[in-house]
Amino acid sequence: MNAPETTDKKPSPRVLVFACRWCALIGADAAGRKKTELPASFRVIPVECASMVEPDSVLRALASGADGVAVMGCHLGGCRFNDANHVAVKRMEALGDLLDTVGIGRRRLLLSFGTAHEGHEFAEVLGNFLRELGPLPELTRWRKTLLNLPAFR
Amino acid sequence: MPGVMVFLCRCCGRIPPTVDLLALGEKIGREEGVAVVETRDTLCLPEDRAAMLRSFEESGASGILVAACSPYGKAGDVVTTLSAACDGDRSHVRLVDIREGCAWIHRGDPAGATAKAGDLIRMNLGFLRHGKRSADAVVAVRPECIVVGAGSAGMAAALSIARAGHRVHLVERGMGGGGMLKLLSHVYPTDAGAEEKLKPSLEAISAQPLIVFHAKTRVVAATGYAGDFKIRLASGTGETNLHVGAVILATGAGVWLPRGLYRYGELKEVLTLMELERRRREGRESPRRTVFIHCVGARCPERPYCATICCPSSIKNAAWIKRADPGAEVTILHRDIMMPGAILERYYRGALEAGVRFVRFAADAPPVVSGDGKVENVSVFDAINGVEREIAADQVILSTPLVANADNAKLADLFHIGIDRYGFFREDDPLHPLETRQAGVFICGSARWPVASGDAAAQGEGAAMKALAILGRERLSARSLSRLPEGKLGHARIEDGFCSGCGNCVAVCPYEACALQKVGGALVSRANKMRCRACGSCMSVCPNGTIQMPEHNARAVGAMIRRAFSPREAR
Repeated sequence: MNAPETTDKKPSPRVLVFACRWCALIGADAAGRKKTELPASFRVIPVECASMVEPDSVLRALASGADGVAVMGCHLGGCRFNDANHVAVKRMEALGDLLDTVGIGRRRLLLSFGTAHEGHEFAEVLGNFLRELGPLPELTRWRKTLLNLPAFR
Repeated sequence: MPGVMVFLCRCCGRIPPTVDLLALGEKIGREEGVAVVETRDTLCLPEDRAAMLRSFEESGASGILVAACSPYGKAGDVVTTLSAACDGDRSHVRLVDIREGCAWIHRGDPAGATAKAGDLIRMNLGFLRHGKRSADAVVAVRPECIVVGAGSAGMAAALSIARAGHRVHLVERGMGGGGMLKLLSHVYPTDAGAEEKLKPSLEAISAQPLIVFHAKTRVVAATGYAGDFKIRLASGTGETNLHVGAVILATGAGVWLPRGLYRYGELKEVLTLMELERRRREGRESPRRTVFIHCVGARCPERPYCATICCPSSIKNAAWIKRADPGAEVTILHRDIMMPGAILERYYRGALEAGVRFVRFAADAPPVVSGDGKVENVSVFDAINGVEREIAADQVILSTPLVANADNAKLADLFHIGIDRYGFFREDDPLHPLETRQAGVFICGSARWPVASGDAAAQGEGAAMKALAILGRERLSARSLSRLPEGKLGHARIEDGFCSGCGNCVAVCPYEACALQKVGGALVSRANKMRCRACGSCMSVCPNGTIQMPEHNARAVGAMIRRAFSPREAR
């Protein structure tokens, strides 16, 4: 339904989704139960809370083949773990600055807090993100440098 | 047989047409660390599940991976069964959702779906290699309880716990028990005398040997966790240290004084409801003409809430004045009448029948009290009939809301619980209204939201039951404090020798479970296992990965990330 347009030449961008299991994972599940058609190029890693996602993991994902990373949690004020997702938002925004600085661009990091807890919302948020990633170039050169760093080997 | 056993579920043909299970099985079978791949029809049915368990136990494989539906579906039960077979150890069991998360959303792209299913399984195989299990923490429970505040809620809580056979420390900042009931003359909706209502409870408390009453005492320090709190009390005579298993906060609320509104403080016939209650208790008669004004200082920008108790209380007094003297003129000026429930609605009808007059005004056109030296007139624009009314009055009663105690912020800080923007204690979850974000600390009565004495007592008894669930055990495990003990990850673990004491985890922990301690001259972080709710905030800010959730550690997540996307040319 919300599948981005793709051509044969350019495959759909690859996205790694970190989904909080109290919110966005339920949205992803609902999208599945409704059989919403989505491109097969995203993978979901369930996490206990969005605050659990290390900035490092986002970089690692970009280094190991993802064109974009989505971090999805509960709406601000609705975190199961008190105010943990407020802290996560700040951290991820700071990571966005870092991505801009090193030339990857914060457009490759999607933050969704409370916007993906229904099936159609999950599909829409992800579909829009995939559409936005589509025209972006491959991260090949950057990936080569990063993958050769000792920390990522 | 070392390695992981992989089970693929056909889900009666709801997965295969999209995901090619045959090709998938072959591909997974070649993966490193996979002992055997089996495909079954319906893993959710008992026969298939039993067969799966049997072949897993016979194989002696080190781990098991089930690729089936989503954890929110039947597969969740499958995992529970498997975990039970591994002594509740989930670190060897992994569920991969290839139905909702793959087959059902990629029906237009079978090749992509099969590749994705393969990637998902490989990711989770990687996870299984590094998944660890954290041992459950168990503490001995102190079979005593502290109840702060001896009002309706606190007394009910203390009595319930004492009757169950546990010692209770009932701490009161004033002299005796009773709380706000001591200030009232009668209580709605029964119109029973407050004193008669209070007497049995006060007698029961003094007769109950298990209740230790601490009058004129305040809580000054608190440390610890569910099952084992250390609390210091201070009174005029000195300090007392308590060692209790659970905490109940029943500190009630305060009365708001409408200084400067409706000429309160200027004309002595303008009273608050509380002052009227005192006069009624003293047996003083009311003058002939009374006007009540509702929502004074409530439902306004500073306090947008309805305090729920003011409408019934003023209707109670209005009906009393009218019944005592049928010739009296009693008018209630209100914005809305809030009398929820069958009993209060009947109570309101009773006041109407007794002859109390109700006039509605709009929030932006409040009544004006006039008079020279004494109350003479109240003018109000009747919002329903659209006419200006002049009501002659001998006294004006202002119905004001309850406000949070100023102490609440300090207590919330001591016990690490939340307060809302108006200063009331915050419940952790609407489905657990007496619990706070700190396990073992419970709230009840008007300290959490304004309630009538009967409701406060009901909440007090509820909080007592919650506390008894802890006090009644000899030993308490950290996992049992979770509302979803099966699903909870263990708790944060700090590797000794690597913590640099930076304090990032202390700053970020939403439950104040992490704290810096001096060990051998250096500061290191320590995670309190009873407080930790396993959100994982700490592990994402640790600069060197010292603090980890064993069930969801960085290595396991890293293994997942590395395997998430197989190289494009292979697809």
